[in-house]
Amino acid sequence: MNWIETLYQTYESCSGRIGDAQEQEPLLPICHTPQNAHVEITLDPLGEFQAASVIEKARQKTVVPCTEASGGRSGKKPATHPLCDKLQYVAGDFSKFGGKVTSGFSSNPVEPHQHYLALLSAWCESPQGHPRVRSVLRYIKTGHVIRDLAEARVLHLDSAGKSLLAEWTRDDDPPPIFAALPGGTSQWDAFVRWAIEEPGNPEVRLWADPSVWESWSTYYTSSIVETGLCQVTGLQVSLAKQHPAKLRHGADKAKLISSNDSSGYTFRGRFTDPDGDQACGVGFDVTQKAHNALRWLIARQGRRDGGQAVVAWAVSGHEIPQIVDASDSLFDEDDSKQESESTAGNEAIDVGQDYALRLKKKIGGYRAELGDTNDIVVLAMDSATRGRMAITYSREIASSEFLDSLESWHLTCSWHQNFGKDRKFVGAPAPRDIAKCAFGRRLDDKLLASTHRRLLPCILDARPIPDDLVRSCLHRAEARSGQDRWDWEKSLGIACALFRKQQINNHQYSMALERDRTSRNYLYGRLLAVADHLESMALEKDEERESNAARLTLRFADHPFSTWRKIEPALTPYRRRLKANKPWWLARYDKELDEIMNLFQPDEFNADDKLSGEFLLAFHCQRSALWQKWDKHDEDESPEEN
Amino acid sequence: MSHKTPKNSISFAVWGKYALFTDPLTKVGGEKCTYHVPTYEALKGIAESIYWKPTFTWIIDRVRVMNPIRTEAKNVKPINISGGNTLATYTYLADVRYHVIAHFEWNLHREDLTADRIEGKHYQVAQRMLKKGGRRDIYLGARECQAYVEPCDFETGDGAYDDAGELAFGLMFHGFDYPDTTGEAKLQSRFWSATMRDGKLDFPRPDDKDAITRKFVREMEPSPPPSVGLAEKGLLP
Repeated sequence: MNWIETLYQTYESCSGRIGDAQEQEPLLPICHTPQNAHVEITLDPLGEFQAASVIEKARQKTVVPCTEASGGRSGKKPATHPLCDKLQYVAGDFSKFGGKVTSGFSSNPVEPHQHYLALLSAWCESPQGHPRVRSVLRYIKTGHVIRDLAEARVLHLDSAGKSLLAEWTRDDDPPPIFAALPGGTSQWDAFVRWAIEEPGNPEVRLWADPSVWESWSTYYTSSIVETGLCQVTGLQVSLAKQHPAKLRHGADKAKLISSNDSSGYTFRGRFTDPDGDQACGVGFDVTQKAHNALRWLIARQGRRDGGQAVVAWAVSGHEIPQIVDASDSLFDEDDSKQESESTAGNEAIDVGQDYALRLKKKIGGYRAELGDTNDIVVLAMDSATRGRMAITYSREIASSEFLDSLESWHLTCSWHQNFGKDRKFVGAPAPRDIAKCAFGRRLDDKLLASTHRRLLPCILDARPIPDDLVRSCLHRAEARSGQDRWDWEKSLGIACALFRKQQINNHQYSMALERDRTSRNYLYGRLLAVADHLESMALEKDEERESNAARLTLRFADHPFSTWRKIEPALTPYRRRLKANKPWWLARYDKELDEIMNLFQPDEFNADDKLSGEFLLAFHCQRSALWQKWDKHDEDESPEEN
Repeated sequence: MSHKTPKNSISFAVWGKYALFTDPLTKVGGEKCTYHVPTYEALKGIAESIYWKPTFTWIIDRVRVMNPIRTEAKNVKPINISGGNTLATYTYLADVRYHVIAHFEWNLHREDLTADRIEGKHYQVAQRMLKKGGRRDIYLGARECQAYVEPCDFETGDGAYDDAGELAFGLMFHGFDYPDTTGEAKLQSRFWSATMRDGKLDFPRPDDKDAITRKFVREMEPSPPPSVGLAEKGLLP
């Protein structure tokens, strides 16, 4: 199905959730747009001013009715909203109190208010008019909005009492209106919303009243005259002239469907009209519902990185796991508590299997809920210029295939991840982490967006990870001495995960130390880990330096044999220290070194060829193995030692 | 839909690195995004690039998607009318291969070419040109998506979707009705509800009343160049 058709279907399946007050960003009814309001005016049913208040930032989100033109308004003469709008539209006394209208209206400053009144009156007089909205109209016609707001001490006049203050210049605390307005705007730009207090109706707020929404939607849809073929449903319906914006966030001016031929060569030739109606016609209903659904989905379960938004959803509206997050976000708090309990006793061998089991269980839960016939749609959108948005990735998958691919990704691309003190987990890194690891400081929004696009097929279609990303991450993990410790730990985890996934068809690496693996890279990695551990163990408390092995990791990766011939002799003084202070550690290191050396083929050891990323895996495994046996060994050895 | 292939069918494989079968919804904004399967009109264009005469029109019967459907977005710098460039993102299909069956039928609105309606002649030339890879350049949807053709049996090879069952693509653009071929002085665009069964799409005929939805675009006059065929003065001795 077309992406716009799937969005339309999603809206229809989720129509029970329209305007759900519990959600941060609810699904909007058609012909409505989200907007931040600053001032709330309460009226009585007869249209008399009752009270007014400033709305603090946390409660400013409002659902306001809009027309096609005002939903995506911009420019010098922005179109008016029908009910809730800025002071220049709503207040008849705007110019009287010194307000300056938007530049396009300056020849006739009353024009915005006149448009507003005309639109509101047309709505109220139509058969779909709503009695509460008529009360608002009655009030507006008196034309004293700003005067009433000033008297209610919501807006503030200057000392002469003639015009609104441009900014707060006095020394004492500014009144709440100045905090509520966004930076760079003045009292003139305050946005008004309405509430009607009438006995017997507990819903005071006009903007949250479903009957008002319905009234506006039906009136506006019936007022659209132009009908034609809708290219999405194939029916003859009223067509949309403009399509909604504000998809990714409230200030987003980018549109998915727009018409551009006056400035760019997009559809001229066969089509002779300037606005693209000959080329493309979409039903009004369809486009409103589809865009509202998209906006809701992005706010609810999309991920925005810079400009790009990636969202995956089930057409039926069920919950699905997030695709561009690291594995730890798949499991919520209860699961992670279980994990820490079961691995506290801590055999490294089971960590990988334990993770696999938990993952299966989690995905199994989703599988049971989604069933087999559900469709999952994944969309990635980005905008190259401010006004237009492109669909950079779109895919429709059956839910079973989707969950299979996701499970396979989280299983194959997983490793112990160490993202810092509070975030250690076993699993796959997020594409954003992979991008940061591969590109480091060179990463900017565009590169991040394109890396996401390259990795989405790896997550969803089990395609191999692009070689250059793996190589960059491996290089970063090898270049240990240039990095801060926590950065390096994070890079190591990510690089190991990527290398493991890349090699998954040839070699299967376990997340625990494989003592019987005899490949050259693996054994060299183990050697490096032992040397690093030995030296770090021997350092005194006040010696904060890196071990030789750590310093020479990059060199080691390129010329293992010759670098090992530098590292090994340098261990001698540390050996002496350990022999004096911690002899059982020394015995262990020697035992490990012997074991590793025995597994080497002699000609492989002497060769100075470059190592593959396998040595990092071995390094990590050996290092954790050395840390692991600490408890066991302590119990075993200390009675003897004493 | 019967799968009987008419006797004058040609069967070919077309492949290329990228394909762009533009979705009209995204075309008007300039950020072109592709359909996941070819449109009838794009394949008709490929057949016409292989061999075409005004005497006949190509009818595309079936197409088979061989490679898995993968999209790839590319950033481009299209030109502005006022000079300079703007930025856009086009989403292409990457690494495509299709098997197509097409046949031709006479264009009955060109009365002046009745003498040219010799089926065997056109069929033979079409086969020869197909073997040579087409008379004109082959492209998949948009001109920048260079492609190649060769004769190929429809059923050979393993397609990626041979066991995929039924996949629906919703309402898709089918093609344009030009006045030269329909006889009415209108330009119309056709849409159909595309379904892919086991990797194969069976296109409805352009004159199919049930499967095709028509949208009127604008008035357009047919303007075929006049031809007298072999009766041209001084052509034959």
